[in-house]
Amino acid sequence: MNYIENIYVCLAAPLILAVLYLRGSSRRALIFLLAGMTTCLLSAYISAFATGALGVDFAAASYEIAPVVEECMKLLPILFYLIVFTPGPKEAISGVLMTAAGFATFENVCFLTDYGTSNLLRMVIRGFGTGAMHVACGVVVAAGLLLLWDMILPRAFGTFALLCFVITFHAVFNIFVSQTGPVFWIGSSIPMTLLLGYLLFIRKRIRLF
Amino acid sequence: MIETYENILQIAVLAGCILVTVIRSVERKSSLWTILTLFYGSWMLGDIYWLACLAFYGMTPQISVVSDLSWYASYIFLYMLLRRASPPDLTSGTKGLPLAGSIFALGMGLFFMHWGEILSNLIYAGLFGLLLYAAITRLQERRAVCLSVGILVFCFLEYGLWLSSCFWKSDTAANPYYWFDLLLTACLPFFLFATHKAVKE
Repeated sequence: MNYIENIYVCLAAPLILAVLYLRGSSRRALIFLLAGMTTCLLSAYISAFATGALGVDFAAASYEIAPVVEECMKLLPILFYLIVFTPGPKEAISGVLMTAAGFATFENVCFLTDYGTSNLLRMVIRGFGTGAMHVACGVVVAAGLLLLWDMILPRAFGTFALLCFVITFHAVFNIFVSQTGPVFWIGSSIPMTLLLGYLLFIRKRIRLF
Repeated sequence: MIETYENILQIAVLAGCILVTVIRSVERKSSLWTILTLFYGSWMLGDIYWLACLAFYGMTPQISVVSDLSWYASYIFLYMLLRRASPPDLTSGTKGLPLAGSIFALGMGLFFMHWGEILSNLIYAGLFGLLLYAAITRLQERRAVCLSVGILVFCFLEYGLWLSSCFWKSDTAANPYYWFDLLLTACLPFFLFATHKAVKE
């Protein structure tokens, strides 16, 4: 039995203390990291409830329920930030990415407590695969928000569309990594490849952020 | 089996289109190309998801929310592409015909509710009503005329596809569902040309 809320308290406590002493952008970044971890914890509860309520088996829940819940939850902190504080695009984008990183970190910690830490290769694949997937989803949402920033009417539409896009990407990733053999390797490497491709070929040219 | 081959063909076409749009987005730095990439990307992810469920679990998704979401996203991106390709203060022309398009979409949505879920059909009706309205309104806009025609053809093929899926169930090449899906696949690269025209104007 895993008590993920206990793990959460243990991990979040030092970060909360640091938030009290930090100022400016560092403080904002840490708050988003914490928000990402919190949404991960809440997503686990909601996904478990939805799985039980809809009577779906565990495998199906991983690609039919978890992506929807996780991506919606991950977007909530940034939506709150956008609506309440009306930040500039750069701040909003940093927020999206830090939330994604916080989410992936807490998810990985929960994975470690479930499956142990003895297999380094598995840890590397898990760390980079899932981590890259969450960050890649964050990059898509952030890039899309910046792209759609000046269009007032379709902003809500665009955000919904981006959310749908990353949910499907997440679901496809979960299907691939739940397989064995080459499918698992391909699935794990896709987000990392996309992120590397973005960093090497696209970021310099389009200078989104 | 024919559905699998058909899906693979559509994914291959979409992958080719994405490659072109990514290169154009980077070269031209035009948001139209990026929105088109997102349209193709969402559509392809929905196809991959459906195909992966069939290939790895031997069945279509138990709750078809995820693939529906990807298709909703692609229609929204198509609408945003059309909006961005035309002037924002578009007021010219009569409203009668575009409204007829929206009412047609709503009527078809009500018809499809006999076969599918109420909520998803309502969302599809809303999105297609919006697409038809926007496309018909912009038919006389020089910059967006190709895109508008492309979207109208696309909507017509989608309705053909859905209607045939209501009345024909066989898994053979004689099923009109597969003809419409093939035509839809053939229609997808047309948006490359239409966007190219819109960027050039």
